[in-house]
Amino acid sequence: MGLRFNNKMNNSKLFKGLFLAIVVLPVASGLVYAFLFSLGIIGVLNKGFHWDVWQTVLFDKPFWVSFGYSLYVALLSVAISLSVALTIALSWQKKLQKGLLSNVIYLPLCFPATVMAFFSFQLLAKSGLLSRIGYQLGFIKEINDFPVLIKDAYGMGIIFTSVLLITPFFIILFSNLYQSEKIASYVNLAKTLGASNRQILQKVMVPILLKRASITIYLFVIFVMGSYEVPLLLGRQNPQMISVAVLQKIQRFNLYDMPQGYAMSMLYVLLIMLILLIIYIKNSNLFKTQNS
Amino acid sequence: MQPLLHIQNLSKTFGNERVLADVNLHLAQHKVLSLLGSSGSGKTTLLKIIAGLEQPSSGEIFLNETEISQQPPQNRNIVYLYQEALLFPHFNVYENIAFGLRLKKQSNQAIKEKVQQMLHYLDIEKHAEKMPNQLSGGQKQRVSFGRAMVVEPKLLLLDEPFGALDSNTRQKMQSLFIKLVEQLKISALFVTHDLKEAIIMGDSIGKIQKGKLIQYESKQAFFEDETSGVKNEVDFWKGIK
Repeated sequence: MGLRFNNKMNNSKLFKGLFLAIVVLPVASGLVYAFLFSLGIIGVLNKGFHWDVWQTVLFDKPFWVSFGYSLYVALLSVAISLSVALTIALSWQKKLQKGLLSNVIYLPLCFPATVMAFFSFQLLAKSGLLSRIGYQLGFIKEINDFPVLIKDAYGMGIIFTSVLLITPFFIILFSNLYQSEKIASYVNLAKTLGASNRQILQKVMVPILLKRASITIYLFVIFVMGSYEVPLLLGRQNPQMISVAVLQKIQRFNLYDMPQGYAMSMLYVLLIMLILLIIYIKNSNLFKTQNS
Repeated sequence: MQPLLHIQNLSKTFGNERVLADVNLHLAQHKVLSLLGSSGSGKTTLLKIIAGLEQPSSGEIFLNETEISQQPPQNRNIVYLYQEALLFPHFNVYENIAFGLRLKKQSNQAIKEKVQQMLHYLDIEKHAEKMPNQLSGGQKQRVSFGRAMVVEPKLLLLDEPFGALDSNTRQKMQSLFIKLVEQLKISALFVTHDLKEAIIMGDSIGKIQKGKLIQYESKQAFFEDETSGVKNEVDFWKGIK
Protein backbone atom coordinates (compact mmCIF):
# COMPACT_ATOMS: atom_id res chain seq x y z
CA MET A 1 0.00 0.00 0.00
CA GLY A 2 2.90 2.29 0.92
CA LEU A 3 4.54 1.49 -2.43
CA ARG A 4 1.35 2.32 -4.30
CA PHE A 5 1.06 5.61 -2.42
CA ASN A 6 4.66 6.48 -3.30
CA ASN A 7 4.06 5.63 -6.97
CA LYS A 8 0.99 7.83 -6.97
CA MET A 9 2.95 10.71 -5.46
CA ASN A 10 5.77 10.24 -8.00
CA ASN A 11 3.28 10.20 -10.89
CA SER A 12 1.64 13.34 -9.57
CA LYS A 13 5.03 15.10 -9.35
CA LEU A 14 5.93 13.91 -12.84
CA PHE A 15 2.69 15.30 -14.33
CA LYS A 16 3.17 18.59 -12.52
CA GLY A 17 6.72 18.78 -13.82
CA LEU A 18 5.61 18.00 -17.37
CA PHE A 19 2.83 20.59 -17.13
CA LEU A 20 5.31 23.20 -15.95
CA ALA A 21 7.80 22.29 -18.69
CA ILE A 22 5.36 22.05 -21.60
CA VAL A 23 2.70 24.65 -20.75
CA VAL A 24 3.86 27.12 -18.11
CA LEU A 25 7.53 27.54 -18.96
CA PRO A 26 7.20 28.58 -22.65
CA VAL A 27 4.36 31.00 -21.90
CA ALA A 28 6.11 32.46 -18.85
CA SER A 29 9.39 32.76 -20.78
CA GLY A 30 7.61 34.61 -23.57
CA LEU A 31 6.01 37.00 -21.12
CA VAL A 32 9.27 37.64 -19.27
CA TYR A 33 11.07 38.22 -22.58
CA ALA A 34 8.34 40.63 -23.71
CA PHE A 35 8.43 42.46 -20.38
CA LEU A 36 12.23 42.84 -20.39
CA PHE A 37 12.16 43.94 -24.05
CA SER A 38 9.48 46.53 -23.32
CA LEU A 39 11.63 47.93 -20.50
CA GLY A 40 14.64 48.24 -22.78
CA ILE A 41 16.69 45.70 -20.82
CA ILE A 42 17.13 43.29 -23.75
CA GLY A 43 16.98 43.77 -27.53
CA VAL A 44 19.68 44.91 -29.97
CA LEU A 45 18.27 48.39 -30.51
CA ASN A 46 17.41 49.01 -26.87
CA LYS A 47 19.66 51.34 -24.92
CA GLY A 48 18.91 50.42 -21.32
CA PHE A 49 16.13 50.47 -18.74
CA HIS A 50 13.32 53.01 -19.14
CA TRP A 51 9.53 53.29 -18.65
CA ASP A 52 8.88 55.44 -21.74
CA VAL A 53 7.25 52.66 -23.75
CA TRP A 54 4.90 51.70 -20.94
CA GLN A 55 3.97 55.34 -20.42
CA THR A 56 3.15 55.66 -24.12
CA VAL A 57 1.09 52.46 -24.16
CA LEU A 58 -0.76 53.22 -20.93
CA PHE A 59 -1.48 56.91 -21.44
CA ASP A 60 -1.86 57.28 -25.22
CA LYS A 61 -5.03 56.37 -27.04
CA PRO A 62 -4.00 53.70 -29.63
CA PHE A 63 -3.78 50.73 -27.26
CA TRP A 64 -7.08 51.50 -25.56
CA VAL A 65 -8.81 52.13 -28.90
CA SER A 66 -7.56 48.75 -30.16
CA PHE A 67 -8.57 47.02 -26.94
CA GLY A 68 -12.04 48.60 -26.95
CA TYR A 69 -12.51 47.84 -30.64
CA SER A 70 -11.46 44.20 -30.12
CA LEU A 71 -13.85 43.89 -27.19
CA TYR A 72 -16.69 45.41 -29.23
CA VAL A 73 -16.07 43.06 -32.19
CA ALA A 74 -15.79 40.03 -29.88
CA LEU A 75 -18.89 40.80 -27.80
CA LEU A 76 -21.05 41.56 -30.84
CA SER A 77 -19.78 38.49 -32.75
CA VAL A 78 -20.39 36.17 -29.80
CA ALA A 79 -23.81 37.72 -29.07
CA ILE A 80 -24.95 37.24 -32.69
CA SER A 81 -23.48 33.72 -32.78
CA LEU A 82 -25.23 32.77 -29.55
CA SER A 83 -28.59 34.02 -30.83
CA VAL A 84 -28.25 32.15 -34.12
CA ALA A 85 -26.87 28.99 -32.47
CA LEU A 86 -29.58 28.89 -29.81
CA THR A 87 -32.30 29.37 -32.41
CA ILE A 88 -30.92 26.58 -34.61
CA ALA A 89 -30.04 24.19 -31.75
CA LEU A 90 -33.48 24.51 -30.16
CA SER A 91 -35.52 24.55 -33.38
CA TRP A 92 -33.74 21.65 -35.07
CA GLN A 93 -32.94 19.61 -31.98
CA LYS A 94 -34.02 16.26 -33.41
CA LYS A 95 -32.43 16.89 -36.82
CA LEU A 96 -29.14 17.79 -35.11
CA GLN A 97 -29.11 14.50 -33.24
CA LYS A 98 -29.48 12.25 -36.25
CA GLY A 99 -29.68 12.49 -40.01
CA LEU A 100 -27.85 14.61 -42.57
CA LEU A 101 -27.73 17.81 -40.51
CA SER A 102 -25.98 16.07 -37.62
CA ASN A 103 -23.00 15.48 -39.95
CA VAL A 104 -23.21 18.61 -42.11
CA ILE A 105 -22.98 20.87 -39.04
CA TYR A 106 -19.36 19.78 -38.55
CA LEU A 107 -18.32 20.89 -42.07
CA PRO A 108 -17.87 24.63 -41.36
CA LEU A 109 -15.36 23.68 -38.66
CA CYS A 110 -13.02 22.49 -41.46
CA PHE A 111 -12.68 26.01 -42.87
CA PRO A 112 -9.56 27.87 -41.70
CA ALA A 113 -10.12 31.46 -40.63
CA THR A 114 -8.19 32.76 -43.64
CA VAL A 115 -10.40 30.84 -46.09
CA MET A 116 -13.52 32.09 -44.34
CA ALA A 117 -12.19 35.65 -44.49
CA PHE A 118 -11.61 35.35 -48.26
CA PHE A 119 -15.10 33.93 -48.65
CA SER A 120 -16.51 36.92 -46.75
CA PHE A 121 -14.44 39.26 -48.91
CA GLN A 122 -15.81 37.67 -52.10
CA LEU A 123 -19.33 37.94 -50.73
CA LEU A 124 -19.40 41.36 -49.05
CA ALA A 125 -16.91 43.53 -50.98
CA LYS A 126 -18.25 46.34 -53.13
CA SER A 127 -17.38 44.27 -56.18
CA GLY A 128 -18.47 41.05 -54.48
CA LEU A 129 -21.24 38.55 -55.03
CA LEU A 130 -23.96 40.31 -53.04
CA SER A 131 -23.22 43.61 -54.74
CA ARG A 132 -23.44 41.95 -58.16
CA ILE A 133 -26.70 40.20 -57.32
CA GLY A 134 -28.07 43.49 -55.97
CA TYR A 135 -27.07 45.22 -59.20
CA GLN A 136 -28.64 42.52 -61.40
CA LEU A 137 -31.87 42.67 -59.40
CA GLY A 138 -31.92 46.46 -59.61
CA PHE A 139 -31.47 47.17 -55.88
CA ILE A 140 -28.35 49.28 -56.60
CA LYS A 141 -27.53 51.36 -59.66
CA GLU A 142 -23.76 51.48 -59.32
CA ILE A 143 -21.01 49.88 -57.27
CA ASN A 144 -20.81 52.78 -54.82
CA ASP A 145 -24.46 52.28 -53.84
CA PHE A 146 -23.48 49.04 -52.09
CA PRO A 147 -22.67 49.65 -48.41
CA VAL A 148 -19.09 49.36 -47.16
CA LEU A 149 -18.95 46.01 -45.36
CA ILE A 150 -15.27 45.20 -45.80
CA LYS A 151 -12.55 47.30 -44.13
CA ASP A 152 -15.32 49.42 -42.64
CA ALA A 153 -15.22 51.42 -39.41
CA TYR A 154 -17.70 49.15 -37.61
CA GLY A 155 -15.89 45.91 -38.44
CA MET A 156 -18.93 44.39 -40.16
CA GLY A 157 -16.82 42.07 -42.30
CA ILE A 158 -14.82 40.89 -39.28
CA ILE A 159 -17.98 40.33 -37.25
CA PHE A 160 -19.71 38.50 -40.13
CA THR A 161 -16.72 36.18 -40.58
CA SER A 162 -16.29 35.57 -36.85
CA VAL A 163 -19.97 34.67 -36.63
CA LEU A 164 -19.53 32.19 -39.50
CA LEU A 165 -16.52 30.68 -37.77
CA ILE A 166 -17.86 30.27 -34.25
CA THR A 167 -21.59 29.66 -34.74
CA PRO A 168 -21.15 25.96 -35.66
CA PHE A 169 -19.18 25.45 -32.44
CA PHE A 170 -22.03 26.90 -30.40
CA ILE A 171 -24.66 24.89 -32.29
CA ILE A 172 -22.81 21.65 -31.55
CA LEU A 173 -22.22 22.72 -27.95
CA PHE A 174 -25.87 23.61 -27.31
CA SER A 175 -27.12 20.52 -29.10
CA ASN A 176 -24.93 18.33 -26.88
CA LEU A 177 -25.84 20.28 -23.75
CA TYR A 178 -29.53 19.83 -24.61
CA GLN A 179 -29.01 16.09 -24.23
CA SER A 180 -26.54 16.01 -21.36
CA GLU A 181 -28.42 18.56 -19.25
CA LYS A 182 -31.74 16.79 -19.85
CA ILE A 183 -33.39 19.96 -21.10
CA ALA A 184 -36.37 17.96 -22.40
CA SER A 185 -37.10 16.79 -18.82
CA TYR A 186 -36.84 20.35 -17.51
CA VAL A 187 -39.23 21.46 -20.23
CA ASN A 188 -41.77 18.79 -19.28
CA LEU A 189 -41.45 19.70 -15.62
CA ALA A 190 -41.92 23.40 -16.37
CA LYS A 191 -44.99 22.61 -18.48
CA THR A 192 -46.65 20.76 -15.62
CA LEU A 193 -45.82 23.67 -13.32
CA GLY A 194 -47.81 25.86 -15.72
CA ALA A 195 -45.13 27.48 -17.91
CA SER A 196 -46.15 28.68 -21.38
CA ASN A 197 -43.87 27.95 -24.34
CA ARG A 198 -42.45 31.47 -24.13
CA GLN A 199 -41.80 31.16 -20.40
CA ILE A 200 -40.13 27.79 -20.97
CA LEU A 201 -37.80 29.38 -23.53
CA GLN A 202 -37.02 32.47 -21.45
CA LYS A 203 -36.91 31.00 -17.95
CA VAL A 204 -35.76 27.43 -18.53
CA MET A 205 -34.08 26.49 -21.81
CA VAL A 206 -31.98 29.57 -22.61
CA PRO A 207 -30.79 30.29 -19.03
CA ILE A 208 -29.78 26.66 -18.40
CA LEU A 209 -27.92 26.37 -21.70
CA LEU A 210 -26.17 29.73 -21.25
CA LYS A 211 -25.22 28.94 -17.67
CA ARG A 212 -23.74 25.59 -18.62
CA ALA A 213 -21.93 27.11 -21.61
CA SER A 214 -20.80 30.27 -19.80
CA ILE A 215 -17.13 29.39 -19.44
CA THR A 216 -16.97 28.42 -23.14
CA ILE A 217 -18.67 31.69 -24.05
CA TYR A 218 -16.07 33.70 -22.11
CA LEU A 219 -13.29 31.77 -23.83
CA PHE A 220 -14.79 32.47 -27.25
CA VAL A 221 -14.95 36.20 -26.46
CA ILE A 222 -11.23 36.03 -25.65
CA PHE A 223 -10.61 33.95 -28.78
CA VAL A 224 -12.32 36.48 -31.07
CA MET A 225 -10.66 39.42 -29.29
CA GLY A 226 -7.27 37.92 -30.03
CA SER A 227 -8.00 36.76 -33.59
CA TYR A 228 -5.47 37.84 -36.21
CA GLU A 229 -6.06 36.62 -39.78
CA VAL A 230 -9.65 37.82 -40.12
CA PRO A 231 -9.09 41.42 -38.91
CA LEU A 232 -5.84 41.55 -40.90
CA LEU A 233 -7.66 40.72 -44.14
CA LEU A 234 -10.99 42.45 -43.53
CA GLY A 235 -10.19 45.22 -41.06
CA ARG A 236 -9.13 48.85 -41.49
CA GLN A 237 -5.84 50.45 -40.49
CA ASN A 238 -7.70 52.44 -37.89
CA PRO A 239 -9.16 51.23 -35.63
CA GLN A 240 -7.21 47.97 -35.56
CA MET A 241 -7.91 44.89 -33.52
CA ILE A 242 -5.35 44.23 -30.83
CA SER A 243 -3.46 41.32 -32.44
CA VAL A 244 -3.03 43.21 -35.71
CA ALA A 245 -1.90 46.32 -33.86
CA VAL A 246 0.62 44.37 -31.77
CA LEU A 247 2.01 42.41 -34.74
CA GLN A 248 2.34 45.61 -36.75
CA LYS A 249 4.48 47.10 -34.00
CA ILE A 250 6.62 43.98 -33.56
CA GLN A 251 7.13 42.76 -37.11
CA ARG A 252 6.64 45.64 -39.50
CA PHE A 253 8.08 48.96 -40.65
CA ASN A 254 9.81 50.51 -37.66
CA LEU A 255 12.09 48.36 -35.51
CA TYR A 256 12.04 51.00 -32.76
CA ASP A 257 8.31 50.20 -32.30
CA MET A 258 9.07 46.64 -31.14
CA PRO A 259 9.22 47.42 -27.40
CA GLN A 260 5.84 49.13 -27.72
CA GLY A 261 4.43 45.98 -29.38
CA TYR A 262 5.73 43.85 -26.53
CA ALA A 263 4.34 46.24 -23.93
CA MET A 264 0.94 46.17 -25.68
CA SER A 265 0.88 42.38 -25.75
CA MET A 266 1.85 42.24 -22.06
CA LEU A 267 -0.83 44.74 -21.09
CA TYR A 268 -3.42 42.87 -23.15
CA VAL A 269 -2.57 39.59 -21.40
CA LEU A 270 -2.72 41.29 -18.00
CA LEU A 271 -6.10 42.84 -18.76
CA ILE A 272 -7.57 39.53 -19.94
CA MET A 273 -6.22 37.80 -16.83
CA LEU A 274 -7.70 40.56 -14.68
CA ILE A 275 -11.11 40.12 -16.32
CA LEU A 276 -10.93 36.36 -15.78
CA LEU A 277 -9.91 36.91 -12.17
CA ILE A 278 -12.88 39.20 -11.57
CA ILE A 279 -15.21 36.62 -13.14
CA TYR A 280 -13.62 33.92 -10.97
CA ILE A 281 -13.98 35.94 -7.77
CA LYS A 282 -17.62 36.73 -8.57
CA ASN A 283 -18.48 33.15 -9.45
CA SER A 284 -15.84 30.55 -8.70
CA ASN A 285 -18.27 27.71 -9.48
CA LEU A 286 -18.11 28.73 -13.13
CA PHE A 287 -14.59 27.32 -13.48
CA LYS A 288 -15.34 24.05 -11.73
CA THR A 289 -16.16 20.91 -13.61
CA GLN A 290 -19.41 19.04 -12.87
CA ASN A 291 -17.70 16.62 -10.49
CA SER A 292 -15.29 18.91 -8.68
CA MET B 1 -68.22 10.25 -3.52
CA GLN B 2 -66.74 10.99 -6.97
CA PRO B 3 -63.03 10.18 -7.32
CA LEU B 4 -60.56 12.99 -7.99
CA LEU B 5 -59.02 11.06 -10.86
CA HIS B 6 -60.87 8.57 -13.00
CA ILE B 7 -59.33 6.85 -16.00
CA GLN B 8 -61.43 4.78 -18.39
CA ASN B 9 -60.16 2.29 -20.96
CA LEU B 10 -56.91 4.12 -21.57
CA SER B 11 -54.58 2.62 -24.17
CA LYS B 12 -51.33 3.74 -25.70
CA THR B 13 -49.38 2.32 -28.61
CA PHE B 14 -46.00 3.36 -29.97
CA GLY B 15 -45.88 2.05 -33.54
CA ASN B 16 -46.82 -1.60 -33.27
CA GLU B 17 -46.04 -1.84 -29.58
CA ARG B 18 -48.94 -1.59 -27.16
CA VAL B 19 -47.60 0.00 -23.99
CA LEU B 20 -50.88 0.44 -22.10
CA ALA B 21 -53.97 -1.68 -22.63
CA ASP B 22 -57.43 -0.64 -21.40
CA VAL B 23 -56.22 0.88 -18.17
CA ASN B 24 -58.91 1.77 -15.63
CA LEU B 25 -57.99 3.65 -12.49
CA HIS B 26 -59.60 5.78 -9.80
CA LEU B 27 -58.09 7.87 -7.05
CA ALA B 28 -60.00 9.54 -4.24
CA GLN B 29 -59.32 13.10 -3.06
CA HIS B 30 -56.39 13.47 -0.60
CA LYS B 31 -55.30 9.86 -1.08
CA VAL B 32 -52.11 8.30 -2.42
CA LEU B 33 -52.19 5.40 -4.83
CA SER B 34 -48.94 3.44 -5.09
CA LEU B 35 -48.30 2.04 -8.53
CA LEU B 36 -45.96 -0.93 -8.62
CA GLY B 37 -44.31 -2.07 -11.78
CA SER B 38 -41.02 -3.24 -13.19
CA SER B 39 -39.00 -1.34 -15.80
CA GLY B 40 -40.79 -1.10 -19.13
CA SER B 41 -44.17 -2.01 -17.66
CA GLY B 42 -45.71 1.27 -18.86
CA LYS B 43 -46.00 3.10 -15.54
CA THR B 44 -44.00 6.16 -16.64
CA THR B 45 -46.03 6.37 -19.85
CA LEU B 46 -49.23 6.28 -17.79
CA LEU B 47 -48.02 9.16 -15.60
CA LYS B 48 -46.94 11.18 -18.62
CA ILE B 49 -50.35 10.71 -20.23
CA ILE B 50 -52.09 11.85 -17.05
CA ALA B 51 -49.79 14.88 -16.90
CA GLY B 52 -50.50 15.70 -20.56
CA LEU B 53 -46.93 15.10 -21.69
CA GLU B 54 -48.02 12.18 -23.89
CA GLN B 55 -51.27 11.72 -25.77
CA PRO B 56 -53.30 8.54 -25.23
CA SER B 57 -54.19 6.42 -28.24
CA SER B 58 -57.67 5.93 -26.79
CA GLY B 59 -59.56 6.27 -23.53
CA GLU B 60 -60.65 9.07 -21.24
CA ILE B 61 -59.16 10.84 -18.22
CA PHE B 62 -61.44 12.67 -15.81
CA LEU B 63 -60.12 15.05 -13.17
CA ASN B 64 -62.87 16.26 -10.84
CA GLU B 65 -65.35 14.90 -13.41
CA THR B 66 -63.87 17.04 -16.21
CA GLU B 67 -62.46 15.22 -19.22
CA ILE B 68 -58.85 16.48 -19.55
CA SER B 69 -57.17 14.24 -22.09
CA GLN B 70 -57.13 17.01 -24.71
CA GLN B 71 -56.00 19.74 -22.34
CA PRO B 72 -52.37 20.94 -22.52
CA PRO B 73 -50.25 20.11 -19.45
CA GLN B 74 -50.11 23.79 -18.47
CA ASN B 75 -53.87 23.85 -17.84
CA ARG B 76 -54.23 20.60 -15.90
CA ASN B 77 -52.71 21.65 -12.57
CA ILE B 78 -51.09 18.24 -12.32
CA VAL B 79 -47.39 18.26 -11.45
CA TYR B 80 -45.14 15.47 -12.64
CA LEU B 81 -41.98 14.79 -10.63
CA TYR B 82 -39.08 12.80 -12.03
CA GLN B 83 -36.72 10.46 -10.23
CA GLU B 84 -34.14 13.23 -10.45
CA ALA B 85 -34.84 16.44 -8.56
CA LEU B 86 -34.22 18.52 -11.72
CA LEU B 87 -33.65 21.75 -9.83
CA PHE B 88 -33.10 24.71 -12.11
CA PRO B 89 -29.31 25.23 -11.93
CA HIS B 90 -29.57 28.99 -12.47
CA PHE B 91 -31.87 29.54 -9.46
CA ASN B 92 -31.17 29.19 -5.75
CA VAL B 93 -33.42 27.09 -3.47
CA TYR B 94 -35.82 29.98 -2.80
CA GLU B 95 -36.25 30.80 -6.49
CA ASN B 96 -36.63 27.13 -7.42
CA ILE B 97 -39.55 26.81 -5.03
CA ALA B 98 -40.97 30.15 -6.17
CA PHE B 99 -40.78 29.14 -9.85
CA GLY B 100 -44.39 28.03 -10.32
CA LEU B 101 -45.74 30.98 -8.34
CA ARG B 102 -43.76 33.46 -10.45
CA LEU B 103 -45.18 31.87 -13.60
CA LYS B 104 -48.62 32.68 -12.24
CA LYS B 105 -47.47 36.26 -11.63
CA GLN B 106 -48.40 36.23 -7.97
CA SER B 107 -47.33 39.22 -5.86
CA ASN B 108 -43.87 39.19 -4.28
CA GLN B 109 -45.43 39.27 -0.82
CA ALA B 110 -47.65 36.25 -1.54
CA ILE B 111 -44.69 34.38 -3.05
CA LYS B 112 -42.51 35.18 -0.03
CA GLU B 113 -45.12 33.93 2.42
CA LYS B 114 -45.81 30.70 0.53
CA VAL B 115 -42.16 29.89 -0.15
CA GLN B 116 -41.12 30.53 3.43
CA GLN B 117 -43.94 28.35 4.69
CA MET B 118 -42.84 25.60 2.31
CA LEU B 119 -39.19 25.97 3.39
CA HIS B 120 -40.40 25.57 6.97
CA TYR B 121 -42.47 22.46 6.15
CA LEU B 122 -39.47 20.91 4.43
CA ASP B 123 -37.03 21.99 7.14
CA ILE B 124 -34.67 23.62 4.66
CA GLU B 125 -35.00 27.27 5.72
CA LYS B 126 -31.25 27.62 6.27
CA HIS B 127 -30.55 26.46 2.71
CA ALA B 128 -32.81 29.03 1.02
CA GLU B 129 -29.95 31.00 -0.54
CA LYS B 130 -27.93 27.98 -1.66
CA MET B 131 -27.55 26.96 -5.29
CA PRO B 132 -28.56 23.41 -6.30
CA ASN B 133 -24.95 22.24 -6.62
CA GLN B 134 -24.46 23.01 -2.91
CA LEU B 135 -27.18 20.58 -1.81
CA SER B 136 -27.18 16.86 -1.01
CA GLY B 137 -29.42 14.42 -2.89
CA GLY B 138 -32.04 14.40 -0.14
CA GLN B 139 -32.07 18.19 0.12
CA LYS B 140 -32.49 18.48 -3.63
CA GLN B 141 -35.46 16.14 -3.53
CA ARG B 142 -37.02 18.20 -0.71
CA VAL B 143 -36.70 21.35 -2.82
CA SER B 144 -38.21 19.49 -5.75
CA PHE B 145 -41.21 18.54 -3.58
CA GLY B 146 -41.53 22.09 -2.33
CA ARG B 147 -41.49 23.48 -5.86
CA ALA B 148 -44.28 21.08 -6.85
CA MET B 149 -46.45 21.46 -3.75
CA VAL B 150 -46.25 25.22 -3.42
CA VAL B 151 -48.43 25.62 -6.53
CA GLU B 152 -51.11 23.51 -4.82
CA PRO B 153 -51.62 21.01 -7.63
CA LYS B 154 -54.81 19.01 -7.81
CA LEU B 155 -52.73 15.91 -8.32
CA LEU B 156 -49.07 15.06 -7.81
CA LEU B 157 -47.45 12.41 -10.00
CA LEU B 158 -44.26 10.95 -8.57
CA ASP B 159 -42.13 8.76 -10.80
CA GLU B 160 -39.83 6.80 -8.48
CA PRO B 161 -38.86 10.00 -6.66
CA PHE B 162 -36.58 8.27 -4.15
CA GLY B 163 -35.00 5.83 -6.58
CA ALA B 164 -31.65 7.64 -6.67
CA LEU B 165 -31.32 8.09 -2.89
CA ASP B 166 -29.41 5.93 -0.42
CA SER B 167 -31.54 3.79 1.91
CA ASN B 168 -31.18 6.07 4.94
CA THR B 169 -32.13 9.24 3.06
CA ARG B 170 -34.86 7.30 1.32
CA GLN B 171 -36.47 6.37 4.65
CA LYS B 172 -36.32 9.98 5.84
CA MET B 173 -37.90 11.19 2.60
CA GLN B 174 -40.66 8.59 2.86
CA SER B 175 -41.52 9.82 6.38
CA LEU B 176 -41.40 13.43 5.23
CA PHE B 177 -43.67 12.71 2.28
CA ILE B 178 -46.24 10.93 4.47
CA LYS B 179 -46.21 13.91 6.86
CA LEU B 180 -46.64 16.40 3.99
CA VAL B 181 -49.51 14.39 2.48
CA GLU B 182 -51.38 14.71 5.76
CA GLN B 183 -50.50 18.37 6.35
CA LEU B 184 -51.16 19.64 2.85
CA LYS B 185 -53.97 17.24 1.88
CA ILE B 186 -52.16 16.00 -1.20
CA SER B 187 -53.57 13.59 -3.75
CA ALA B 188 -50.87 11.61 -5.49
CA LEU B 189 -49.94 8.72 -7.73
CA PHE B 190 -46.68 7.28 -6.44
CA VAL B 191 -44.82 5.04 -8.87
CA THR B 192 -42.21 2.68 -7.50
CA HIS B 193 -40.76 -0.73 -8.20
CA ASP B 194 -40.05 -1.26 -4.49
CA LEU B 195 -42.69 -3.44 -2.82
CA LYS B 196 -42.05 -2.13 0.70
CA GLU B 197 -42.12 1.49 -0.45
CA ALA B 198 -45.40 0.93 -2.28
CA ILE B 199 -46.98 -0.42 0.91
CA ILE B 200 -45.58 2.38 3.10
CA MET B 201 -46.49 5.26 0.80
CA GLY B 202 -49.87 4.29 -0.62
CA ASP B 203 -53.35 4.39 0.88
CA SER B 204 -54.09 1.87 -1.84
CA ILE B 205 -52.01 -0.11 -4.30
CA GLY B 206 -52.08 -0.82 -8.00
CA LYS B 207 -49.87 -3.04 -10.07
CA ILE B 208 -48.99 -2.47 -13.68
CA GLN B 209 -47.62 -5.34 -15.71
CA LYS B 210 -47.06 -5.39 -19.47
CA GLY B 211 -49.38 -2.42 -19.86
CA LYS B 212 -52.25 -3.87 -17.85
CA LEU B 213 -53.23 -2.32 -14.54
CA ILE B 214 -54.70 -4.11 -11.56
CA GLN B 215 -55.98 -1.77 -8.86
CA TYR B 216 -56.60 -3.56 -5.57
CA GLU B 217 -59.69 -2.75 -3.52
CA SER B 218 -57.65 -2.70 -0.33
CA LYS B 219 -54.11 -3.30 0.88
CA GLN B 220 -55.36 -6.62 2.31
CA ALA B 221 -56.48 -7.71 -1.16
CA PHE B 222 -53.00 -6.86 -2.44
CA PHE B 223 -51.32 -8.86 0.34
CA GLU B 224 -53.51 -11.86 -0.42
CA ASP B 225 -52.85 -11.82 -4.16
CA GLU B 226 -50.39 -14.61 -4.92
CA THR B 227 -48.85 -12.63 -7.78
CA SER B 228 -48.26 -9.45 -5.76
CA GLY B 229 -44.91 -10.74 -4.45
CA VAL B 230 -45.84 -10.00 -0.83
CA LYS B 231 -46.07 -13.68 0.14
CA ASN B 232 -42.63 -14.40 -1.38
CA GLU B 233 -41.17 -11.48 0.54
CA VAL B 234 -42.71 -12.63 3.82
CA ASP B 235 -41.51 -16.19 3.25
CA PHE B 236 -38.01 -14.89 2.51
CA TRP B 237 -37.76 -12.97 5.77
CA LYS B 238 -39.31 -15.84 7.73
CA GLY B 239 -36.68 -18.14 6.24
CA ILE B 240 -33.85 -16.08 7.74
CA LYS B 241 -33.10 -17.16 11.26
